[in-house]
Amino acid sequence: MPSPTSHWVASARAVFAKDWRCELRSRYALNAIGLFAVTTLVVTSAALGPSGSNQAMAINVLPAILWLILLFAAAAGLPRVFVHEEESRTANALRLAATPSALFAGKVAFGLSLLLAIEALVAPLYLAVMNLNLASPGLFVGALVAGGYGLATGSVLIAALASQARGRSTLFSVLAFPVLMPLLLLAIELTRNSVAGDPAGPALPQLLLYDGTVTIAGLMLFPAVWNP
Amino acid sequence: MVYSCGPPARAGQFAGPGSYTARAMTSVSLVFDGVRRRFGRVRALEPASGRVAAGEALVVTGANGAGKSTLLRCLAGLLAPDGGTVEHVEEGAALTPPERRARIGFVAPDLAFYDELSAGENLEFFARLRGLPAARAGELLERVGLPVDRAAGALSSGMRQRLRWAWALLARPRALLLDEPFQNLDREGEDSVRGLLGEHLESGGLAIVASPIPLEVAGAVSHLTLGR
Repeated sequence: MPSPTSHWVASARAVFAKDWRCELRSRYALNAIGLFAVTTLVVTSAALGPSGSNQAMAINVLPAILWLILLFAAAAGLPRVFVHEEESRTANALRLAATPSALFAGKVAFGLSLLLAIEALVAPLYLAVMNLNLASPGLFVGALVAGGYGLATGSVLIAALASQARGRSTLFSVLAFPVLMPLLLLAIELTRNSVAGDPAGPALPQLLLYDGTVTIAGLMLFPAVWNP
Repeated sequence: MVYSCGPPARAGQFAGPGSYTARAMTSVSLVFDGVRRRFGRVRALEPASGRVAAGEALVVTGANGAGKSTLLRCLAGLLAPDGGTVEHVEEGAALTPPERRARIGFVAPDLAFYDELSAGENLEFFARLRGLPAARAGELLERVGLPVDRAAGALSSGMRQRLRWAWALLARPRALLLDEPFQNLDREGEDSVRGLLGEHLESGGLAIVASPIPLEVAGAVSHLTLGR
């Protein structure tokens, strides 16, 4: 008989593996997120050109555009992690079989890995087409990982809330605004510092605090949201 | 609402180890009293009461819309009743709603599985969520006569029903909640799952079976009729 902790970890891993297996066979979220990210990247680069050589533009505008691309790419695919369970009527089987917190952790791990994969594709392309030079590459990667984690966790929690409502996409947008706004502002500031060569400053601990808070809030709220 | 709840015809028997169904020699009972549920202004389930003990089956009948599925969802913990009590006792301990969800076996027409995964992969996923060995999935699929490697999305309606049965019996539950359990099954399939139900009851499990038409279930059976 496995211990409760090892059973919880095994359950979360099973959800993560199942979601990736389904995703690789259907390619729904990958296609939605990838196509949205690449399309907006191409449009942005065509409209602005390699504007990274303009220092003011590079510091003040381009980090914000990068995070807007990532936000809308996430919004195009991550709500599916729960909406798909409700629409395909697999949600009740999950409710009866899975520990809610392990299910949440597995879904967050899936959403995070999906988002990190998109970031790994989009960020180097964005730096290249915008001719954007990084003064602190390590801080840039840190901003992508910490910001991506908060974006994935917040989006999955909002998706769980919205999936049980009728106007799912509207509710997702309405809830995403207040929940994700602080995260985006912090991630943009960190990215800006990585371009300007400034120290991370208070944005990094604040972003990590946000990540921790949204994780704890998700683990505590999710069982109440998920079960009747 | 009218209900009648007759006495059991005979006491339960117990099967030895290796049974496909309920674990042997365990006490279980499910008592519900005045369970009711509304959806907005619609009274989906008028107050319903009944009791079923180890080795017994309760057959719930009633016209379409009488509340049979709603009652079973309330008993499973998938729906919070507006009023009434549900007491599910196993080995002398009353189960909480989360424990009830984890312990019951549930078959219902609106229960679906992942179309992208095979029947075997679906059951193995749910076995991992419940901390069970993956081999259990193969045993049950063989017993209900389903090919392990057929994609769930390519199963006929009768085969999906067999998969629901295999899924419901995965954790050897002591309480089975069966909503139209023989729907879409061919003669061979119905014989197979009736055999499983018989083994479940003989090994000391209990079952609540909902059907719009009177249903023959072997063994100790009582009846509850829902209606307005």
